[in-house]
Formats: sequence, structure tokens, C-alpha cells
Amino acid sequence: MKRTISYTRQWLSDWYRIFTRELKHIFSDSGVLVIFFLAGLAYPVLYGLIYGNSCVDDMPVAMVDCCGSSGSREFTRKLDATRELHIAYSCADLPEARRLMQQRKVKGAVLIPSDFEAKLAAGEQACVSTYADMSSFLYYKNLTMAVNMVMLDKMHGSRPAQPVKYEANLPYNRTFAYNVFFLSAVLLLVIQQTMFYGMSMLTGTMREENRSFSIMPVQMKGRGISRTVAGRGAAYWLIYMAIGVYIAILTPAMFGMPRNSSFQDIFVLLLFYVSACVVFSMTFSSFIRHRETVFVLFLFMSPICLFLTGFSWPESSFPGFWKAFSWLFPSTFAVKAFINMNTAGAGLAMAAPQLVALTIQVIVYYLLSCLSYIVDAGKCGNGF
Amino acid sequence: MDKTDGKAMDFLHKIKAATLRELRLMRQRPVYLIASAGVMAFCCIFFLTLLRDGFPKDLATGIVDLDNSSMSRNFIRQTDATELGRTVGFASYTEAREAMQTGRINAFIVIPEGFYDDVLSGRQPTLTFYVNSLYFVGGALAYKNILSMVNLTSGAVQREIFRAMGMSDEEIMGKIQPIVIDAHQIGNVTTDYGVYLTNVLVPGILEAIIILVTVYALGSELKYGTSKHLLEKTGGSMSAALLGKLIPYTVLFTAIGAVCNLVLYGWAGFPMAGSVWNMMLGTFLLVLACESVAIFIIGTLPVLRLAISISALYCVLGFSLAGFTFPVEAMPGAVQGFAALFPLRHYYLLFVQEAIFASGFAGWYGQAVSLLLFMALPPLVYRRLQKAYVLLNYPRN
Repeated sequence: MKRTISYTRQWLSDWYRIFTRELKHIFSDSGVLVIFFLAGLAYPVLYGLIYGNSCVDDMPVAMVDCCGSSGSREFTRKLDATRELHIAYSCADLPEARRLMQQRKVKGAVLIPSDFEAKLAAGEQACVSTYADMSSFLYYKNLTMAVNMVMLDKMHGSRPAQPVKYEANLPYNRTFAYNVFFLSAVLLLVIQQTMFYGMSMLTGTMREENRSFSIMPVQMKGRGISRTVAGRGAAYWLIYMAIGVYIAILTPAMFGMPRNSSFQDIFVLLLFYVSACVVFSMTFSSFIRHRETVFVLFLFMSPICLFLTGFSWPESSFPGFWKAFSWLFPSTFAVKAFINMNTAGAGLAMAAPQLVALTIQVIVYYLLSCLSYIVDAGKCGNGF
Repeated sequence: MDKTDGKAMDFLHKIKAATLRELRLMRQRPVYLIASAGVMAFCCIFFLTLLRDGFPKDLATGIVDLDNSSMSRNFIRQTDATELGRTVGFASYTEAREAMQTGRINAFIVIPEGFYDDVLSGRQPTLTFYVNSLYFVGGALAYKNILSMVNLTSGAVQREIFRAMGMSDEEIMGKIQPIVIDAHQIGNVTTDYGVYLTNVLVPGILEAIIILVTVYALGSELKYGTSKHLLEKTGGSMSAALLGKLIPYTVLFTAIGAVCNLVLYGWAGFPMAGSVWNMMLGTFLLVLACESVAIFIIGTLPVLRLAISISALYCVLGFSLAGFTFPVEAMPGAVQGFAALFPLRHYYLLFVQEAIFASGFAGWYGQAVSLLLFMALPPLVYRRLQKAYVLLNYPRN
């Protein structure tokens, strides 16, 4: 009993020493502070500002009305009235419209052929051609949606009673707002990436100074792994729970994004996610030998992790290898849970599969980071 | 005359000495090659394989069939048979909603009770559908798919009625769908998502590689205090040292960019309306512009640890501000000006002119000039960097 108490006391005091030492390291390193605080705090705001307008409204298009009838003029007027499009130019022929597109004065063109009205009058199908600038898919989406809506409108006006009506609901992101889509994914990714880069910089520094990152209490003869891992990890965990609340809860509020989940639910998700990120970063940062090389070698992982969350290209279309690869990263699960909870209003219980995956990651990466400490301590002759 | 010639020769020798020294460093420290060629190879493989379908197939669409009639079952069967995606049945609205909230399906349709009866008796039943537009590509596609499915169903019912009235199929189509849309996608005929993203992401990765590796190469001299050794090699000439150091990297980055262009427009067969040689020129200008930015960053902040952190922040923003996903003209005014500070933005505009509109030099000379303007940055910090190289008067770590 006494031994247990003294062991616990020793454990706690060691843990506390390592914890405070790590905090000191963090706060005395300008490079790490730039990454943790400048990037962690400024990036969400920057992204919020960049995508603040969220939609491309009144995109300029060129109209080529070869028909010049009342019907075609009505079609043109209705296109101009849509939220998506603005008829910026009326062109005499298609080459003129193409020239305007090439000069990037318009992002698309619509052509109404000369037989438009005649065909409609004769009860035949009339054809409207659209030409979209594919340099951005949003241009294409705007043109297609607007022309389709005007076409459906015309159709419902002219054809006899429809046998089936329909009602469209886009409950979570009514206007396909870009910021809702992009920010939801990128916010949580910022947590994982900045933590990994910052921690790797510190690990690299220690390595360069010929210290091990795994300085353990000497008297423990190498049995102090858990307190070292827990002590170092707690320092990052503490900082990132604060940054995480700012990123996942305050930022969406600042930019008027949907918040369909309670503070508590998001906080619980953060508990899992930040813990997974800490042990994930500890495991992989142990491979870093020089402090600056982490950016040179791994900055490219940021866009790759973003795509691996499946926020853009659907996960169901991932090749098997990349799907398995995506399981390495806590962000894959946390981003999905965050999108579902924060914007689609799913409850914490519905995020259970993601939380289970994050728990598995915490366990596996915790064991791996302990292993990396043993290896490193053995190499550096520290602690043993 | 001889004197100036001799001077020029001497200068070239100094550059050569610095270049040879750099080549030796690159051999000794594999990080330079891994961080450039290795990273680029990984990214190319990643984007080309991840997005290889070009267009997501087999997206799951939920169906809540409350009618369970021959007509609703037929509707489901027909939907399943099209390339629009596969259907997943749900017993209730709640079940389907939960599946959508957890991202398992992108959309679902509710077929109301009494659907068949209502159609037959002309009471115009309503098909209700729900789309999760949080996942952009999946959501937008599902929206489009369901709209056309619903219209097809509606049309099929009408067709039967009109046939019974003795109309010809042509007349019927004129009645059911008076206007058809003939869509043309300029520059990406198949609306291939992989083509769209990879075309800009790969140069974006190249931008990040160039800036980071250049900053790292220049900053390491400061960090390890080897800049004096470098200046000894070039007889104290900073310009020779800088030129000699950058020549091997310029060649390396340009070669990587050229290989990427060949891979994308040759091997992978991405659409290229203009000439791939103009793209090569664009890539070379991108390399020069990014190197200039790198010199500017390390010159302003001659501390490697800070310079590399700032470079990383800058590179990541470059992707968003290129404006290929969300267009720059839809961003707030201040951000639009900010976007011009990134070489990738100009490269992207150049790419659009060449690869999509084939407008040639006349179309993109403005972008080429912008990229060249970045080369005005290094002279601004040249003295400062020289001082740092000579005096090593900044904190190393």
C-alpha cells in the first residue's frame, strides 16, 4: 500500500516535471509559436474571410440570341433574373461570345438557335446550347443550374398538368455555399497539421542538440515511459484543447456558419480528436531528425489529408489502398464526424463509428509512441 | 577589353565553384532530392490514382418507398439500372435521414403512400427528395441525378397518356420536354474532376516544393554557419554564391515541372487546347517566381526556423488564393489583391489561357510579366542577406 502511494506520488511529480518542461520548450520556441498560435488562430479567420461570400452570384455570361423572338427574350430575361447568372453581353454570333470567354470577360455563354420559337410553336423540342468555362467547376455549376431552372420553369408553364410533382429539400447547405463546405473540413484539419508540424519542430530541435526527446527520470531505469509520454502529451493536449475550442466552436460562430450541434457534443468530439492527434504526432514526429525538415518533407501532406477526409471527392469512390491509407490520420474520422454533427445536426451517438475509430487510434498510437521512446532512449543512452 | 573579359571569366569560375559545392551538398544530404522529386512523385501518384475515375460512380441514393406499388418498384428498378447510382432502401424517413446525416448516402427520395393511385387518378402526388449538399461533389451530382430521375418518371407517365391519345413519339417529346439543353464544357469535355483538380494542385505542390527547398537551402548556410565557407569559395562574391547555389535547384525544379507537364498532358492525356511547350515556359517562369519569393522570405527573416514556418504558411494559402476552386472574383476586395502576391495565381491564369482557350502568348503575356515581376523581390533583400551571410549575426536556432 505504502509502495503504491509512493509510486503514485513519484509518478505524479515526474509527470508534472515533464509536463512543465515541455510547456517551457514550447513557449520559448518562436518557430513553434508561429505554427501553433499564428497558424492555429489566424488560419481559420483567413479562410473565413477568403470564402466569406460563400457563393458566386451574378456570374457574367454572354447571350447569343439568334432567334430574337418574344420567347427567346423571355428566356434571356429569366436567366438574367436568376441568382447565379448575369447577362453581361449580348453577342451576334458564337465566335464573338467565345472571344469574350477567352478574354475572361464572361465565364459562360448561352446560345438560343434561330428555330427556337418556331419549334416550340410546332410542339417540337427546341434546343438551347450552353458553353461553360471549365477552369472552375463553380462556373459550370452556376451555368448548368440556372439554365436548368429556367428550362424547368418554362416546361411547367407550357406542358399539360404534371402527373407527378416534386419538392426539393437541401436542408444543410441550401445554396451550395462554398464556405460551409470547405471550412467544415479544413477547420479540424488545421488542428492535426499544426500540432504535428510544431511537435516535430521541437523533436527535431532536441535531436539536433543531441538530446533525446524521451528524457526520462533516471532513477526509473527505463520504466518511466508512461509518465514521459503522458507528461509531454498533456502539454500539447492542454494547448490544443483551447485552440480546438476556438477553431471548432468559436470560428463557425464568428462567420455565421451553421451550428447544429451543442457545445458539449463538439467538446466531446474534440476530447477524442485532440487526444488522437497528440499521440499521432508523437509517433510520427519521432522520425524527424532536423527541425526544419518537417516542413520541407511533409507540408504536402496537408492537401493530401484534406482530400482523404472525403469532403470533396466522395469516399465511396476512393481506391481501396487510399481508403486504408486515410485510416492512418485522425482527421479522416474527426472531419467526417464534425461535418455530420456541426452542420447536419447529427447527435453524438450517430458519430459513434468515428469516435470508436479515434479511440482505436489513441490506443495504437499511444503504444507506438511508447515504443518510439524506448527505441530513442536506447539510442541516446538516456534514461536507461 | 581583356580586363573585363577576365573579370567575367573569373565570375563564372566563382559561380561554378559554388554550384559544385552545392551539388556535393545535395549528394550528401538526401533531403533535397526527397523533398522535391520524391514528394512530387508521391503527389502525382496520389492525385492521379485517387481521382482516376474522373467522375464518382455508384453513389448511393436512399429510397423510402411508402407506396410499395408496382409503379414505385418500377421506379426504383429503373433508377438502379441507370448509371446515376445505386439505390438503398429504407423503411422510414427517420432511418434515411440518419443515413444522410452520417454521410452514408448523399440524398434520398420519399415515395408517398398512395403514389400509384394518385397518379392514376390525376391527383398529382409529390415526390419529396432531400440532398446533403455538405459533400459538394456527391451532393451536386445527387441533386442533378434525382432531378432527372423525377423528370423521367413524370415523363414516362405522361408518355403513356399521350400514346393512348395517339400522338407520335416526336410530338410527345415536344410536349413532355419542350426545351432540351445541349451543354458544352470548354476545356474539360467529360467534366472530369480529376483533370480539373490535378491540373492546378500539381503546380501548387511544385510551388510549395520550390519555396520550401530554396528557403531551406539558403537558410541552412546560416543555421550551420557554413555561409562563410561558401563565400570563401566564391572569393567573397555574394552574387556568385547566390547564383551558383540556385543554378542546380533551378535545373532540378524545372525538370520536375517539365516531367509533370509531360505526365499530365502526355501520359495521362489531360486536355490541352494550346501547346505543351508554352506550358513548359510557364512552368519555368513559375520556378523563377517562386525562387524569388523564397529569397525574399529568407532575406527578410534570416533565421531558418522562422523563415521556414512563414514559408509553410504562405504556401498553404497559395492553394486557396489561386482561385481554381472558389473564384477569386467572388472573394472580398482586399483578398483579391492579396491573391496577386502568389505566383500560383498567375500561373493558374496562364494555364487557363493556354490549356483551355489556346490563346497563346497574346492571351497570357500579362501573367508572364507578373511572374517575372516577382524577380524584383530579391534585390530588395540582397544587402540584408549578404550581411547575414558574412556576419552570421542572427540567432541560429
